[in-house]
Amino acid sequence: MMDHAQFDSIAALDAIGAATADESNALAAHLPSCPDCRRARDEYGEATLMLARDLDPVMPPPRVRDRIFAAIDGGEPANVIDARDRFNSSRWWMAAAVVFLALWGWRELSVRVTREKINTVEAEVRRLAGQNQLLATRNEKLSAEMASLASRDTRTIALTGQQVSPSASAKVFLEPRQRRAVVFFYNLPANAADKSYQLWILRGDQPKPQSAGVFDVTKSGAASISIENLPLATEIKGLAVTLEPKGGVEQPTNTNFFVAGNT
Amino acid sequence: MIAAMDTSFEPSSLLPAVAHGDMAAFEQLYDRHSPTLYALLLRILSNADDAQEVLQETFVKAWTNAKMFDAVRGSDVAWLISIARSRGIDRLRSRKIRGDREDEAGRELSGSFGFIDKRTGADDAIQSEERNAVRSALAELPEAQRVALALAYFEGLSQSEIAERLGEPLGTIKTRMQLGMKKLRERLKAFR
Repeated sequence: MMDHAQFDSIAALDAIGAATADESNALAAHLPSCPDCRRARDEYGEATLMLARDLDPVMPPPRVRDRIFAAIDGGEPANVIDARDRFNSSRWWMAAAVVFLALWGWRELSVRVTREKINTVEAEVRRLAGQNQLLATRNEKLSAEMASLASRDTRTIALTGQQVSPSASAKVFLEPRQRRAVVFFYNLPANAADKSYQLWILRGDQPKPQSAGVFDVTKSGAASISIENLPLATEIKGLAVTLEPKGGVEQPTNTNFFVAGNT
Repeated sequence: MIAAMDTSFEPSSLLPAVAHGDMAAFEQLYDRHSPTLYALLLRILSNADDAQEVLQETFVKAWTNAKMFDAVRGSDVAWLISIARSRGIDRLRSRKIRGDREDEAGRELSGSFGFIDKRTGADDAIQSEERNAVRSALAELPEAQRVALALAYFEGLSQSEIAERLGEPLGTIKTRMQLGMKKLRERLKAFR
């Protein structure tokens, strides 16, 4: 089950149009029941505006304006309210209006009750659709992980616990041809709510480590992470895990490796 | 000056009046926001004819769908930008499918999000001040985060496509974009 921090991260990607379909569906299913995440989604939406507002404005040619106004000439927005129809001095019309309003009131009340019922059912359908999507995503992820584990080319690499966590360990199943890997961690201490573990790829061809993703560890001490689009196996010198601020960072903020190992 | 910045960038909302068929409000809406939207569409499409067509579609849609605007969710310009960007990216994708767009790699990915350095009459002092504030917020993002966000926003690329384009692991790109967006959101909160 995803937590708020995960939905917040998805909302960030969704606002800029970079969330996957699965992530967007999961977020959409979660939003109706979570005002905090709705606010986060709206704030990220506003933040993306900054990207457009960074551009220097450019005045379009006058012919564009002419074309637009010619295109809408004579057409009216769908909900235009015509003030001429609002009032009529006829008494008969007034009486009819009173009757109409009474009937309309009844109808409006029943429509509102029905709409609330529909909204409740729709929210439940969205929630179930989101759960279904999550299960499908999890199934897909597990299949990919199984493929990584079962491939003939798969290499196994052991990462060992370091000074800060000597009993920890990890096993990496690296599938070089598909450039993907599954890493299983054992006996890692549970991370605080404001922290995340981050896995780093130490590359032979680059001086700085490269993030391979973030993950959380609960009391069980176990966790796993899938890595896609890895560098070529020959470029990977080693792997290491640090504890970083929630959501991860661009570069490690410390050298307290929890597990590490050479490939 | 940043502290005084209005994040909605809007003196007042014109769309409710447009929804009631107020042509004068629509004209004001066009005059106020068309330079911003046109610059955005030029950045996305790199082609003036396409940008003008999509700009026209955007404003015609704004006229017919103004009643859909919800002021609680954001400002006039936010709504218009969202329509323009979505249509611009659709046009870009359909051009890619047609194979017209061959020189993807040549697009500018560095430093600034904007590549058009062309001042116009609409570029008044207030807008300049807002833009300077926005620019300073974006300048605080590391280059790698700016590039990843620009590829998503202006080219409509998915996480995997960005990872592929930049030759980086998907996890790296995801983290980079999330951190970039979080920083922009924090800056936006600081403006309030």
